[in-house]
Amino acid sequence: MIKKITKYILLAFTITLCTSCFEILEEINLNSDGSGTMLVTFNLSKSKTKLASIMLLDSVNGHRVPSKDDINKALKDAENHLKTINGITNIKKTADYQNYIFTISCNFDKVASLDAVFQELIRKQNKKEQTNFNTTNFSYDKDTNNFQRNFTYDAALKKAFYKLKGEDRKIFEDATYTSIYRFNDSVEKVSNSNAKVSPNKKAVLLKIDAMALILGEKSVANTIQLFK
Amino acid sequence: MKRILLFTSFCLAALVASSQDLISKIPSNASVVFAIKGKNITDLVTTSEFENSKIGKLFLKELDKETKGKVTSLETLGIDVTQNFYYFLQAEESIFTHCFLVPLKSKEGFLSLLSDRKKENLITEQGLSYFTDSYDSAVTMWNDDTLLVVYTQEGNKYDAYSYDYYNDYETETAIDVVVEPSYEVAEDLAIEAPEAVIEEAPIEAEASYEEEIIIDAVEPSNDNYYTSDYYKAQAIERENARVKRDEEREERRKASLKKTLERAKSILAGNYENGSILINSNYVKSVGNDKDEAILWVNDFGSIYDQALPLMLGGLSNPYEMFNFKSLYGGMSLTSKLNFEESKASIKTIYTMNDEMASYSREMYNGKMNSNFFKYINEDNLQGYFAINMSTEGILNAYPKMLENMFVGVEKEHLEDLIPISTRLISLLLDEEAIAKIIRGDMLFVMTGLEQKEVTYTTYEYDENYESTEVTKTKNETLPNFLFMITSEEKEIFSRLMRIGSKEGVIIEQNGMYQINIPNMPFSLYMIFKDNTLLIGNSSKDMMAIHNGSFHAKFSREHKKLIAKNSTSIYINGKQIVSQIPVDMMPQAYEQKLNYISENVEDVIFKIGKIKGNVIEGEMILNTPLGKGHKNSLAYFINMMDALVD
Repeated sequence: MIKKITKYILLAFTITLCTSCFEILEEINLNSDGSGTMLVTFNLSKSKTKLASIMLLDSVNGHRVPSKDDINKALKDAENHLKTINGITNIKKTADYQNYIFTISCNFDKVASLDAVFQELIRKQNKKEQTNFNTTNFSYDKDTNNFQRNFTYDAALKKAFYKLKGEDRKIFEDATYTSIYRFNDSVEKVSNSNAKVSPNKKAVLLKIDAMALILGEKSVANTIQLFK
Repeated sequence: MKRILLFTSFCLAALVASSQDLISKIPSNASVVFAIKGKNITDLVTTSEFENSKIGKLFLKELDKETKGKVTSLETLGIDVTQNFYYFLQAEESIFTHCFLVPLKSKEGFLSLLSDRKKENLITEQGLSYFTDSYDSAVTMWNDDTLLVVYTQEGNKYDAYSYDYYNDYETETAIDVVVEPSYEVAEDLAIEAPEAVIEEAPIEAEASYEEEIIIDAVEPSNDNYYTSDYYKAQAIERENARVKRDEEREERRKASLKKTLERAKSILAGNYENGSILINSNYVKSVGNDKDEAILWVNDFGSIYDQALPLMLGGLSNPYEMFNFKSLYGGMSLTSKLNFEESKASIKTIYTMNDEMASYSREMYNGKMNSNFFKYINEDNLQGYFAINMSTEGILNAYPKMLENMFVGVEKEHLEDLIPISTRLISLLLDEEAIAKIIRGDMLFVMTGLEQKEVTYTTYEYDENYESTEVTKTKNETLPNFLFMITSEEKEIFSRLMRIGSKEGVIIEQNGMYQINIPNMPFSLYMIFKDNTLLIGNSSKDMMAIHNGSFHAKFSREHKKLIAKNSTSIYINGKQIVSQIPVDMMPQAYEQKLNYISENVEDVIFKIGKIKGNVIEGEMILNTPLGKGHKNSLAYFINMMDALVD
């Protein structure tokens, strides 16, 4: 009871006072044979006070607030989608509502299988919203030992962003996207100037602000040439 | 004295009526009257001021669009906004008649609002123009100076045919089983078939196999049934019944519309045999001096509930029919007045109860506010409070009586006797006086200010090889502080509960102050019991000071009076709240607006008084700033919308 009352008291204030931000972390460990593991983390921990309050509401700024059941269902849907892709195994998901951190991970037998995870989704998005995002996101050429993270910017992203209300845009101001790709072989060179190669040459980190990505100022596209 | 006041009210009412006010068109037996005082409103904000405001421009733009440029101002709209507008409700014989009276300056503007189709169906006779809608029994009628919209709702429109649809099919089912000859054949088949199966089929499969064969055997005979002469005859009979039903409904609709039309004409004529609402002393007394901008008057809740409940809650199958609402709400009336003054806008509601309800309310609201609460508040940082001043003992005593009263005369399911037995048994089990010692009924919740607090969050750090590790970091968040106070004489229970909590490890004791850490909350709760007060708060600094007796209290007499003299009071210190919002945490687009609000916002007060005689008063007051360019509180709202609406 006390918990509920205090939550409601917090609600009125946190919605206007607390900053909201989130980070998306995409980690891929690639083996030399093209197989590997992928882990995607949605970390909203920095906004947890606000989220705990928002979750008490039905809607905020005209948007429906998803319940825990809705979030669990979305994760389950993602898991079910992964299950339909050949070559994707060992699918795991976690949901931490104390810190608002959600993860989904899987193994893949080849990069093409990993790419297939997103292909159909992007195709549908392109058809629905008349966008032009490339449908191939990941590719790996075993012969040349070349790994590619593809991304074509579409101005529709910027347009959609500016259609949002000021309050909603604020959510993206402190958000970040981080990708970490780890390899067995050493990295020879990377194409994205914002990407950093680890001192042991076996990992590439790219951290960019969500705003830079939305406005097309920076890209997640990267071609990583590994030593043969 | 009362007679003098009443006489004065009559004189005022007569004055209003003589100046062609539409109130003379409201009958004396109206159950609800709602008035918008155009003259009072336009005295506060002129039509040109409204037209030049943002909301006015938006309104006119829509009108311009709707009327294809024929109406571009309030003047060309044809409605006389300087006169009074009325809505009234008449509830007679379970028929609700809703009427809207609008003063007209010219008919042309109003006509331009109508669609061409509506205009084609326009009827004009004896200086009156009107069109009707038979579905809703609605009539829209006007003469040179008045527009009237009337529509009726019937409480008992569930006629003898209401359940025919289902009855038709009940009859069919009976025929299926008993009468129809082809079905008898099917039954024979169905009986014979399992016998044949039992001999051949294994025992464990008997039941399911049996069902399957019965269905197979019956289906063809059903086909025969639906093509049989008997079925066709039934279908024709049903269709004839439907046509008859529709015709009768249409007749009733026409009759209802005719009545509504006659009523509309008599309303516009305003020649009532029993006089207008101005001879209703209850109304005249309630409305008072006519200085308000809007008034809602509800005459007798009991009779309205009585007639409205079947209509609103499912017709004949009304689940609330078992309650004796009349005993609770009979003879109750309500008057609500909206007032825009120079430095405040207010809605004042006066609720008059019957003797029984008044006696229950008196018991329930007979609370006494604990003056110790005021020792723990410092109004320098006060953002607002919510006080309840009730009597737990009174509630526990009055509630069973109220419940019993609700079922007086309800013979259904022996409720008239069963409810009192249950309430007596519960009363025997409860010791009202002892419960009131635990929670007396007076409580105060205070928002004591905003504070920067350190909260933790999870993020990731990467080693030199970009292996990620989950780490916990801290950041500052601005969070509200609050204090909740309840009067209680049972310190013993509190101490024992805290001892159990401490032993279980969920409560931490700090020299008589107790700390509870709640998961997912960015702060802890602190509890202390001081004198006859249980205090729960989230500011360790304030709670410790209260505990040590070093808290610096400051609370004005006005606030003390507001809390102590009312049964419920809410205070919101708008200026304080807005000034404490850190502007840098708001989106830039809102910064300017926030500054405007901060400059122009004042207090909001909501209070429900204690019962006096049979009357309880409630009031919501929004104070508006002086010297900020708002000529009155109505202009304030328009100015605020101009500044804040994009």
